[in-house]
Amino acid sequence: MRKYIEFARVQMQVHAAYSAWFWANTFSVLLRMLVIYFFWKAVYSSRTEIEGLPFDSMITYIIIAMFLQMFVSGVGRELAHTIKDGNVAIELMRPYHLITRLIAMDIGDKIIHFIRGALPLGILAFIFMDITLPTTWQGGLLFLLSALMGIWIGTFFDLLIAILAFWTINLWGLEVMKEAVISFFSGALVPLILFPEWFQTVSLFLPFQAMVYVPVAIYTGILTGTEAWLALGSQVFWAVLLFVLLRVLWSIAIKKVTIFGG
Amino acid sequence: MIVVKNLEKYYKIAKRDPGLRGAVKSLFHRKYETKKAVKRISMHIESGEMVGYIGANGAGKSTTIKMLTGILTPTSGEVKVNGIIPYENRKQNASHIGAVFGQRTQLFWDIPVRESYELLKHIYEIPQKQYEETLAEFVEVLHLEPLLGIPVRQLSLGQKMRCELAAAFLHRPKVVYLDEPTIGLDVAVKVRIRNFIKQMNARYGTTVLLTTHDMQDIEEICHRIIIIDDGSVIYDGSIQDIKAQFGDKRVIQFELEHSIDHFVLPEEIRSAAVVIPKTDEDHHVVSVSFSSKEISGAEVISCMMKHYPVLDLTIADAKIETIVEEIYSKGLKGRVQHEEIH
Repeated sequence: MRKYIEFARVQMQVHAAYSAWFWANTFSVLLRMLVIYFFWKAVYSSRTEIEGLPFDSMITYIIIAMFLQMFVSGVGRELAHTIKDGNVAIELMRPYHLITRLIAMDIGDKIIHFIRGALPLGILAFIFMDITLPTTWQGGLLFLLSALMGIWIGTFFDLLIAILAFWTINLWGLEVMKEAVISFFSGALVPLILFPEWFQTVSLFLPFQAMVYVPVAIYTGILTGTEAWLALGSQVFWAVLLFVLLRVLWSIAIKKVTIFGG
Repeated sequence: MIVVKNLEKYYKIAKRDPGLRGAVKSLFHRKYETKKAVKRISMHIESGEMVGYIGANGAGKSTTIKMLTGILTPTSGEVKVNGIIPYENRKQNASHIGAVFGQRTQLFWDIPVRESYELLKHIYEIPQKQYEETLAEFVEVLHLEPLLGIPVRQLSLGQKMRCELAAAFLHRPKVVYLDEPTIGLDVAVKVRIRNFIKQMNARYGTTVLLTTHDMQDIEEICHRIIIIDDGSVIYDGSIQDIKAQFGDKRVIQFELEHSIDHFVLPEEIRSAAVVIPKTDEDHHVVSVSFSSKEISGAEVISCMMKHYPVLDLTIADAKIETIVEEIYSKGLKGRVQHEEIH
């Protein structure tokens, strides 16, 4: 266990070292927040609500979703790299589990991201952009739980795609497609309730809405009571399923490496 | 320490016809070709031995090492390292071995060397006191002090290799696999690295299996060599033995005035000497190998000078390089002492 904590710690340290990157990133997020804010301000200038959502609920949803989306991808790129350049063989020679190690590093990454990026920017958004707090404190707690689940699901999904690098020659296209699908189906761009009925039904059966839409919908009160609990249940289902899939796919991949030599 | 019995590894390689048609065809109907990378290899290496494992490119060296480290599962045969079957208990095996692959880095790219070692301390669960002692020792022997604060990606090749070596030995592993540890390094660094390996072996009794194309490495470090060719062991014994066996070998390199494309050995010496196949592109140099018992060097030279205009010549004696070169190109021809290990 200790070695994995060390990995998380080192990763935090590495990140703290890239300060130019950090400022560039902060600046781009700030810019995006401003664009989003003025865009929706303009949309709402001629009406008071869309699909039952007033401006402050909408902007709250969009901003929180934007922040959450930054956390729903994982270390897939790193894993895919390790596989592509053949270093996965060296990793197998070490006394740790590679996937666990990568997840530990990812956690370190996300903690530092949260503290240095999301938290200060989030506070700024609260002060200047009419973002509201969760409607009830239970809703707030449930949101935290659900957001963690969403991040978990996003991380697993990312790694799952990355493992495909064992079989495909170029993963880049798949990664791009994954990003697009996630942005669209997860509800990271707009609340899913703005989409047509059939689309909502389809996405109900996909893991993507569990990444962003569910937690943020709980936060903004779109999902409450039984509906919220049901949504949380589906998150648990996806988290477990993806976890099992990840393990299975990984052991198949390792067999392939150790028997066929990659 | 390392016991290998009738070890075999076959790869299945998907065969594909050339071109687009072949690519489409291979989607539906795949033909496989079996490549025998390692064929019934046996070896027995005692604890504390330093063995050179050599062979031409593609002879099966890396495949063997991969099976010893547990990252490849053998097709058949037995392999045991330190009493553990590597491919079945990969993680357990991993904590007792160290490795350096000259072409790949094992340190952590973005963080300073010292942090890398700290991380390795946790990965291999090295006790703090032992870690401090070992590191202090390595820093002195390999002159690492000025490098400790620098991120790995900023190190030069020689600096990186010194750091890699320290990383491989840091947890005092029982076995260390070194794959081309001196590739691309200057003489001074090579010497330092060789000394370090010898020192580690003397102090901790580390078993070392070294693959390299640098015969100087082998002569300085190893007492025993195993030569592998086309997946089989063709020689296993001490360096002295092989030198004694081939001690009468001489190689003379002639630089001729004309291109050697149509070169044939003069009739008089054809029975006693052979031409070593060329590996480089120089079309004016020919290497003639012979046994000093059968024919004297003077005879070969005078005969050559009679038939060809010779510009220059160099004589090499039984260096391990020339011996190995000849074994690669000709095989041992019945001189193989095949020892089965029971």
